[in-house]
Amino acid sequence: MKENLAIQNNKSSRLWKEIVRHKSVYLLLAIPFTYYIIFKYIPIWNAQIAFKEYWAVQGVNKSPWIGLTNFKTFISSYYFWPLIRNTIMYSVGKLIISLPLSIILSIAIYECTRPGLRKTVQTLAYLPHFLSWVIMYGILLALLSPGDGIVNDVIKYFGGKPIDFLSNTKAFPWVVLFSDAWKEMGWSAIIFIAALMGIDVSLFEAATVEGANSWQRIKYITLPAIRPVIVTVLLLKLGTILNAGFNQIFMLYSPQVYSVADIIDTWVYRQGLLEFEFGLATAVGLFKGVIGMALIMISNKLVSKMSEGSSLF
Amino acid sequence: MNQKTKTLRPVVQNKKVKLTSSDKVFNYLVNTFMVLTFLIIFIPVWSTITLSFRPNDYIGTNLEGMFLPFWRWSTDAYKALLGNNGFISAFLNSIKILIGGVASSLFLTIPLAYCLSIKTLPGRKFLNYTIVIPYVFNVGIIPVYLLIVAVGLVNKLPSVYLPGAISTYNCIIMRQFFEGIPGELKESAKIDGCSEIQILFKIILPLSKAIVMTIGLYYAVTFWNDFFNAMLYLNDSYLQPLPILLRNILMASGMNEYVEVNAFGNAPISAIKAASVFLSAIPMLMAYPFIQKYFTKGTLLGSVKG
Amino acid sequence: MKKLLTILCLVLISTSFVFAQGGNEKTTVAQKSNEPVTIDLWYGAAVTEAGPVPSDWVGYQIIKDKLNIDLKLTALPSNDADQDVKIQAAGAANNLPDLFMVSRKVLTNLVKQGLVANVDSYYAQMPNRTAIQYDADSMKQSTINGHSYGFASPGSIAKNEGLLIRKDWLDKLGLAVPTTADEFFAVCKAFTTQDPDGNGKNDTYGFGGYVEVDATLRGYPGSRFFPIMGAFGVDGLWSFDSATAGLNIYKPEFYDFMVYLKKMCDEGVIDPNWLSYKKDDFRAAWKQGKFGIMKEQNAAFAASSNYAPFDKNFPEGSWVICDPFKGPNGDASIGAFDMNFRIYAVSTTADKAGKGDAIARLLEWMSSEEGYFLLGWGVEGVNFVKDTNGIPVAGDLGDKAFTGSIGQTVTQLRNMVFYNGDTELASRYPTYITATSGKEMSALKVLREMQSKTWTNNVGAGTMPTANADVKRFYEQSLAEFLTGKTALTQANWAKFITEFNNVGGKTWNDQGVAYMKENNLI
Repeated sequence: MKENLAIQNNKSSRLWKEIVRHKSVYLLLAIPFTYYIIFKYIPIWNAQIAFKEYWAVQGVNKSPWIGLTNFKTFISSYYFWPLIRNTIMYSVGKLIISLPLSIILSIAIYECTRPGLRKTVQTLAYLPHFLSWVIMYGILLALLSPGDGIVNDVIKYFGGKPIDFLSNTKAFPWVVLFSDAWKEMGWSAIIFIAALMGIDVSLFEAATVEGANSWQRIKYITLPAIRPVIVTVLLLKLGTILNAGFNQIFMLYSPQVYSVADIIDTWVYRQGLLEFEFGLATAVGLFKGVIGMALIMISNKLVSKMSEGSSLF
Repeated sequence: MNQKTKTLRPVVQNKKVKLTSSDKVFNYLVNTFMVLTFLIIFIPVWSTITLSFRPNDYIGTNLEGMFLPFWRWSTDAYKALLGNNGFISAFLNSIKILIGGVASSLFLTIPLAYCLSIKTLPGRKFLNYTIVIPYVFNVGIIPVYLLIVAVGLVNKLPSVYLPGAISTYNCIIMRQFFEGIPGELKESAKIDGCSEIQILFKIILPLSKAIVMTIGLYYAVTFWNDFFNAMLYLNDSYLQPLPILLRNILMASGMNEYVEVNAFGNAPISAIKAASVFLSAIPMLMAYPFIQKYFTKGTLLGSVKG
Repeated sequence: MKKLLTILCLVLISTSFVFAQGGNEKTTVAQKSNEPVTIDLWYGAAVTEAGPVPSDWVGYQIIKDKLNIDLKLTALPSNDADQDVKIQAAGAANNLPDLFMVSRKVLTNLVKQGLVANVDSYYAQMPNRTAIQYDADSMKQSTINGHSYGFASPGSIAKNEGLLIRKDWLDKLGLAVPTTADEFFAVCKAFTTQDPDGNGKNDTYGFGGYVEVDATLRGYPGSRFFPIMGAFGVDGLWSFDSATAGLNIYKPEFYDFMVYLKKMCDEGVIDPNWLSYKKDDFRAAWKQGKFGIMKEQNAAFAASSNYAPFDKNFPEGSWVICDPFKGPNGDASIGAFDMNFRIYAVSTTADKAGKGDAIARLLEWMSSEEGYFLLGWGVEGVNFVKDTNGIPVAGDLGDKAFTGSIGQTVTQLRNMVFYNGDTELASRYPTYITATSGKEMSALKVLREMQSKTWTNNVGAGTMPTANADVKRFYEQSLAEFLTGKTALTQANWAKFITEFNNVGGKTWNDQGVAYMKENNLI
């Protein structure tokens, strides 16, 4: 009995010793942590309006509770399943298309043997990131409009029938996915290039000594070197999988493609924000958060089983 | 940058490396991909650039417009925008937001990321959860708005950047890089009796120039482009930053009643829109090559043992 | 690195001090009697692109001296949706300004929350302004649940759009202005296939339009298509006719209209970009001669700055305003018109703080002779001069004139004083000679001609109850899908659409609307 107590005392005193040993770390943490409490957790406290009928005059604390009514409104919407389906389609689609493209681009920039070409592409590649979706709409219109878009001019030249890409429910999702890839490919590559720049020289020396060719070098050195960054990015993006890019869809969509374009955020914008239904808007935000959190935790467990050091927690 | 092969990837200097045929194929594919990327990005960008210089009397297709000769280009759109009354003040406001934003963000994010990278820290898991939860639970605009009112930041410039001053995404990426710094360096410093703060400044940060610059750039671009926070929280006209000005131009909706007055002289509205986008992007574009200097190869950051 | 950190710290601290200015402290109680009352006014700028009111505007001093009011101005964003979000967010935080411009839909929401004040008693304090601006229709616009919650100032003048057709194209092809729907279709087809601009290229279309942002609430596909809808008697969202009161979509003629429009799309006689155009694209397109028939606003068509690019490209080109063409049942209408208003509301906070008197004083002064000219045109001699008829004109004041880039910033508040009076119209729409072709144009003449055509009276449509967002989406999505061909346009599918529409909530909406019509004598 005394021994158990002694062991427990040892454990807690060890913990205490660790805390004391790290006291300068906690000092460093103080300010950012306070920031987090104020700017992130107070809004989470305010988010209780998801469970309330929000009256501005009464404020967050005094508005009446209505339980899960807001959630029910969302889930019982006529368009609930199409919204979920579209949102996931765009999120996953962007992961499948944009992420590999930016990785390939970063490796290509890293391995390119012509500095002139490399510098040009590097500078040019992240320029589309700065074009807001308002102007992107104009660019897409110039490219894809049925009357005089460049792509349709080419189609007509070859005798085909022009396609209204932005109004066609089959073509629209591809427009969304590829325009997003085009816009973000170069920008997302920046972080991968930074990771590549940090690869230890000695690894490449060893590779040369062992006579590895370019493909082997990519497979055994380059890719594994940036794997932790890729995994982290992937995990973080899974957490926000139900945010499919509001600004893009909002600028590009129109009634004729609502069936494939309307995502959760655009629905919330129309139904929640523009209608003063802020409890509903917050409820949907929490709903997305629960799902995102679940996804992160599941995939994090998988990742930590496969390799140390890449997990989020 | 290596002299012989001129790649970003380090190449052993003194050994003469013979390129095998698979290497040649590899280089060929890489270069083709680069050229394709160049074309795919350049063509629409070029079409927008020519659009911003398009004269008012141009009739013709967009395709032909891309090949319009230089002497027919008109700078009316740029002149109209730069001469706009609010432009200079909006630009300065954006600069203020940028400086304040990047300073506060780095000031807050770097210590946080570093502390989270210390594997022996008690409560590390709890802290990681703490920063991931608000990232995943995006609670929408009203809960944040209520907070901003409560702390009295409404109609003040910091309201644009303080809510987003720590981005969990950026923080975790930075933590990732800090974790990759070899522990021996920290150990030897500890033996010398350095506190964590001193380790952070004397050892970690000098090695992390690239990642600090990258994350700083990420924050910079977010704050530079932000219009939503500015629209919600800023009321005074002389506080409006550039994105608000641009959005007012780009998205004036409805049948504007006073269409008989033209705020922009002779330039066609599409040229104005294109020009406004480039004018707002230019400062950020100029920043990246400057930051690239810090991306020197072989620095001991984020290096992973093979 | 220590240096860098110190610098970062200093920058952070200094920025928070330096940039902590710029805040408006909300004064809740009017202080001692001789200190000025602060009024926060959120206004909708007349021309947002021109920039905000300068901080040295003479109006500030005049208002302070004469009315003892310290006026603080905030320009609302130019986009309607952004305006709504900003105002509602401020409302949700109970942080609304004293006086602000607001749309009726948002006003309804704010009234429900108790955030805006009942202003019935204010009208008596501003007799002059009430006589000029607030007529019976205006009062209806601002009345919710029997009380007035805002001041509805006149917006754009009614019936200011018309059906325009390229006269030179008609002449070249030897055609007459169409008077029936069949003739209209034939002319559209001719414009598309017979190269009316004679440039040898097959690049012209008959009709051009675009879907407006608020198209559904006015009647999808929107007012650009009202002349066509009017031929079938279904222009506008609601029918106020006693026999068919309710949503126009329930009328069998609506199906006929859809068939007609679909035929136009299928045969390619309408500019195929109409589904993707936004307002500016549409306007750029007619100036480039893409199509020959359109519905356009008088000033957007005829004002000098707007007509000039078209004139430069096509000096031989000319447009004529035509009567609406008749449909199969003899109906004809340019469109459904409603009176347009801008509502300015007072927050409950301001009312309780006793600022009501000051607000009424301010509004009354705005409608006085001095305020009218100052807000509408600026300072005489600096921003405008009066011509022989007493109409303000730009003269040779250059940039400072109210039409120039500097002058526009000092007249951003003109929406609060204009009421479409004759002086205003004459000043806004002067007669001029076009630069390239030497024609005499007058947006005012165009306006009068447009107003003389046949219109459907839909006054009060702006106050009708709106639908739930899902119902609205179903409505516009289904119609759009019929037009793009995603759903085949057959009687069977149409019936299915109507049934489903009723299920989603369309029937409820319709019944609400009819009940409202009866209550308010709109039928």
